[in-house]
Amino acid sequence: MSDNLTLPAQQSPAGASAEPLLTVEGLTKHFPIYGGFPIKRKVGAVQAVDKVDLTVGAGESVGLVGESGCGKSTTGRLITRLLEPTGGKITYAGHDITHASRRELAPIRSEIQMIFQDPYSSLNPRQTVGTIIRSPMEVNGIEPAGGREKRVRELLELVGLNPEHYNRFPHEFSGGQRQRIGVARALALQPKLIVADEPVSALDVSIQAQVVNLLQKVQQEMGIAFLFIAHDLAVVRHFSQRVAVMYLGKVVEVGDRDSIYNRPRHPYTHALLSAVPEVAVDDEPEDRERIRLAGDVPSPIMPPSGCRFRTRCWKAQDKCATEEPPLVRLSDSREGHLTACHFPEEPTTEARDEDIVLDPGLKALEDENAGTD
Amino acid sequence: MLLEVRDLHVEFRTRDGVAKAVNGVSYGVDAGETLAVLGESGSGKSVTAQTIMGILDTPPGKVTGGQILFEGRDLLTLKEEERRKVRGAGMAMIFQDALSSLNPVLTVGDQLGEMFTVHRGMSRKDARAKAVELMDRVRIPGARERVRQYPHQFSGGMRQRIMIAMAIALEPRLVIADEPTTALDVTVQAQVMDLLAELRREYRMGLILITHDLGVVADVADRIAVMYAGRIVETAPVHDIYKAPAHPYTRGLLDSIPRLDQKGRQLYAIKGLPPSLTRIPPGCAFHPRCPMARDVCRTDVPPLYEVTDAPSERGSACHFWRECLHG
Repeated sequence: MSDNLTLPAQQSPAGASAEPLLTVEGLTKHFPIYGGFPIKRKVGAVQAVDKVDLTVGAGESVGLVGESGCGKSTTGRLITRLLEPTGGKITYAGHDITHASRRELAPIRSEIQMIFQDPYSSLNPRQTVGTIIRSPMEVNGIEPAGGREKRVRELLELVGLNPEHYNRFPHEFSGGQRQRIGVARALALQPKLIVADEPVSALDVSIQAQVVNLLQKVQQEMGIAFLFIAHDLAVVRHFSQRVAVMYLGKVVEVGDRDSIYNRPRHPYTHALLSAVPEVAVDDEPEDRERIRLAGDVPSPIMPPSGCRFRTRCWKAQDKCATEEPPLVRLSDSREGHLTACHFPEEPTTEARDEDIVLDPGLKALEDENAGTD
Repeated sequence: MLLEVRDLHVEFRTRDGVAKAVNGVSYGVDAGETLAVLGESGSGKSVTAQTIMGILDTPPGKVTGGQILFEGRDLLTLKEEERRKVRGAGMAMIFQDALSSLNPVLTVGDQLGEMFTVHRGMSRKDARAKAVELMDRVRIPGARERVRQYPHQFSGGMRQRIMIAMAIALEPRLVIADEPTTALDVTVQAQVMDLLAELRREYRMGLILITHDLGVVADVADRIAVMYAGRIVETAPVHDIYKAPAHPYTRGLLDSIPRLDQKGRQLYAIKGLPPSLTRIPPGCAFHPRCPMARDVCRTDVPPLYEVTDAPSERGSACHFWRECLHG
């Protein structure tokens, strides 16, 4: 578990290039719901992902954040083509792979890899670590110089595991070590894009930092592009150059890290940021805004008309129910910072004159207590 | 002091040997105070709470020493029947996973009402009315109609509110919340934490908040106790601990959180893994992972030293707490 890993420089240095590696346009995934008797008919659809636009440049790390059920994992699975899109277009390095067949996908599969959330269920318990890391090379018929076994040992060392543990089984490793095995497997084919779906959320706090550092090292030194899917805003902020915020199957705001975290415009981004409990290390008084939304995310089977956030939004007006706001650059936003809102917020996260507490119960409770104190 | 845990020891008999889950934990909570118990999985934070509640599985678990004084009475010497009376009316617990803690085949009204029929001997009708009142109190919209619904008809945040309602039903003096918001989304988590904090103020309950999330703790707790390998390694008022930790483990945890002012840089990572509870290292259990470890750490178990340099009441189980505090 050395902290000083040396990685071979593989590709051109990191940094967003002019031509995006991956472009997603209008990506849509509806899961049909069947019902009725005696003949099952389609009675509705879970609109998990609806017209999502996203780009990932070569060597760039893009964060995808949102609450559970917002479609961020589905988006990741569509991009890796583990799921078949209902509509839209996925372009990878100039090729349209939206509906590519197995054969057409074969050469691209090795370039797009995935790291899964649960290090316990994503490794086959009956295979040794060596077999697990070697199989992608076997499947894709890749014969690295010096043989596959040597490459596996190199990979194990690279992710900070003992190469001698080649013949051990997954159950002999801890959660953090297993996640390292998952990373080694994803690196086995020298990918250009890694989709990491909540790679650290199943790990303990002291182990999370180890894995985040490993991923960051891999990303920066090998120039691999990352789509980093997570609900933990602090980890995403640490890891990503650009961030996209999803709500109920839609991207509501996207921009560079600084724009999203310090100059957010969409009310949902404001609410999300203000809900994250932050460790205040310094003496500075609490000067963050406080927003408490009411209720939960609505069902994606019958999403609200117009803007999907309007049912929980404090700025919602009639227009929000009838017109869906387009994802556009607002007048005083920076280049590349797009927001889908008719009535955007001020670009600051500083405390407001008055807290926004939409939860009627919480509001009443606070007023009561304020009265008695 | 409302609750005082003194030198508690709990063991589990497992196939790999005896797992020492809790090794001499002492802490206390006053009425109206919030104590946060912070630790990673396997640190013994939940086992301590289960022992206080008297819901520890025995066997394999076994309390091998210590006292749990609740309003002056040692709970560990009480008969099971008497302890049951303390549970519910005296102290209550909120669990992490509300869905599996609620009975799926009973309506939430029945489950809330049960508190009153069992403990207070109320009629079913009166209990039902009480259930509606409770659901109103935790601000579940449309309580009168929803009281007849089953747990699966509620969302995650609403279910956790029902758990909270059940816990506060008999107005206990102490509530133990074991990772109450870990399974919830951030926006819902914020609602639930605020609700809990407000209810605690309203009823002047003592609250023990068990969590692994340093952020959640910072917002609501008065005092904090950090646990590692079944021991308390540091205890202090919340703000002091964040400003200047007096134990290298606490310091490591704080440094490993991604922060705004350090974006892009490498995170500090505590090396290695938490120890197995069947083979806790001799001396200070943290020494194999500690950047400050010296010979004495490998042999002598550090007691919880009083941190005398600090203006407030603090303790640290590190031989070199002074160095850690000032360095």
